[in-house]
This record gives sequence, structure tokens and C-alpha cells, in this order.
Amino acid sequence: MTRIKRGYIAGKRRRKIRLFTSSFRGAHSRLTRTITQQKIKALVSANRDRDRKKRGFRSLWIHRINAIIGKNKKKQYNRYSNLLYNIYKGQLLLNRKIVAQMGILKGNCLRMIANEIIT
Amino acid sequence: MKMVNAFNMKRAAAGLRRINLDGLRWRVFDAKGQVLGRLASQIATVVQGKDKPTYTPNRDDGDMCIVLNAKDVCVTGRKLTDKVYYWHTGYVGHLKERTFKDQMAKDPTEVIRKAILRMLPRNKLRDDRDRKLRIFPGSEHPFGDRPLEPYVMPPRRVREMRPRERRAMIREQKKAELQQQKTDGTKKGKKREAPEESA
Repeated sequence: MTRIKRGYIAGKRRRKIRLFTSSFRGAHSRLTRTITQQKIKALVSANRDRDRKKRGFRSLWIHRINAIIGKNKKKQYNRYSNLLYNIYKGQLLLNRKIVAQMGILKGNCLRMIANEIIT
Repeated sequence: MKMVNAFNMKRAAAGLRRINLDGLRWRVFDAKGQVLGRLASQIATVVQGKDKPTYTPNRDDGDMCIVLNAKDVCVTGRKLTDKVYYWHTGYVGHLKERTFKDQMAKDPTEVIRKAILRMLPRNKLRDDRDRKLRIFPGSEHPFGDRPLEPYVMPPRRVREMRPRERRAMIREQKKAELQQQKTDGTKKGKKREAPEESA
């Protein structure tokens, strides 16, 4: 058999991966073997963290709502659980994100809503 | 201790340059008569910025906390003599210890500082948060010209005394009353002073 070199097939494949990894730091964008590894890791993280992002933001909103409740409405309730329970009872379709944003930007709105809900 | 006080004052005002934002409030905590851990947990929430609706976990946004009267902080139970601070120097066999009492005698601000630092999450922001804490053993501080806000502690629910403790307390009260009645005339050798409750 005549000798056949592999040509640029592998190179084509690796060029695509290198494009993906082109903005990584140090050896992670220069060395071929590390490039393939880092691409896999990056995609895995992205996949996993798309779900984590949702968890993370929800937890952030809950922290913020807690902060607002604890500070302002001591007379009415100290608790995040009470506020949410009352929201559900009052059949308001507010989710935590909106409540948290309201608390930052329009604190008065939130206070009015809370006042109406308790009773 | 007066030497240490003077040194503290200069140091306290000095480190302010490293803290970037001054949209922060200055909260004053009075530690007089407060229980150590309960005070520390409130301070820890304030220093982390967790009482603000704009709390962000990757950014340090806590208020500056000034703690006064650190030497008057109280501790329940037998912790005054029995609480021991341990640390290891790194050399083999050199586990050092110091009791609460000795630490208070040496540097009362360290007690509160350790309590708060150990309540903060161990991440990269911990050192910055440490810089925002200024603790003073007395009630003087060099920050008089800043807009200070006193912090009102939430009311504390003291649990009711356990039956044995309550019986002991009642017994001591009765003994104290009997002693007062017997001030004239013979006193038998039963002079037991009513033991002082740790404040």
C-alpha cells in the first residue's frame, strides 16, 4: 500500500475547537490537548449552571425580600414566610423576582400591597 | 490598657482609605450588657449587608460597624471561666489556649472580633468585612464627626429558668432574707454569701 498521510483532517477538527477556546487564559487557548479538555469542561459547566442560575437568582431574591421585611415592617410581620403565605392566600400572582425588584425600586408599592394583604 | 487605647484610636481612623464606597452608613452598637454571641450575630448580618434590599453576594456592601463598650460584653453560664480560645502556632505540639477571662484582661476587642469573624462566611470578602468593623473597649471613638446611627437590637426572648436553677435561686433569696432578719444578735457560722449571678 502506498503511504497515506492523514492530511489536514485532524487539523480541521481541532481548528473548530480552538476557535471556541480562543479567549481562554494561558495554555488553555494554545496547547491542543488542553484545548480539547477545556472546551469539554466549559460546556459541561455551562450546561450545569444554566439550572444553577435559576436556583441562584431565586435565592438572591429571597435574601433581598428578607432584608426588606426585616427592616421595615416590624409591626406587621418579621417573616418572609408570612409575607409569601399571604400573597398566596390573596391569590396574587407575584413571584419573588417582582417582589424583590419592587422592594428596591418602589418600596412604597410593596408596603401598600403588604398592608392590604395582611388583613 | 491606656496605651493600647491610644494606639487603637490612631489605627482605627487610619484604615479608612481602603474602603471604597462611602455611601455606607455608620452603625453604632453598644455592647454594654449584651450577650456576646447574640450581639455578634446581629453585627455579622449588618456587616455583610444582609439587611439591605440591594444585597449582592459577590460585592461587599455592608455598613461600617462601630462597637462600643467592648469590655462590658456579657456571657451566660460558666463561660467566663470555662470558655477557652485555642489556636495552633504551626509548630508541632504548640496548641495554645487562653481563657475568656484572660482574653478580656488582655484585649477585650479581640473577643468580639473573633466572635464576629467566625460568623462571617469564609470567602474572599471576609477580610474586607473585617476592615469595616471598628471595636472600642470604652465608649470613646474618633468618629464623632460622622453621621452615626445607633442600632436598636431586636428584643430578646430570655428563656425561663430551668427548675433546678430556679430552686437554687429561690433558696439563695430566702437565705438572703433570713440573714437580713438576723442582723441583730447571734450569727451562726453559716455565713454563706449569696453567689453573684454572672451579669
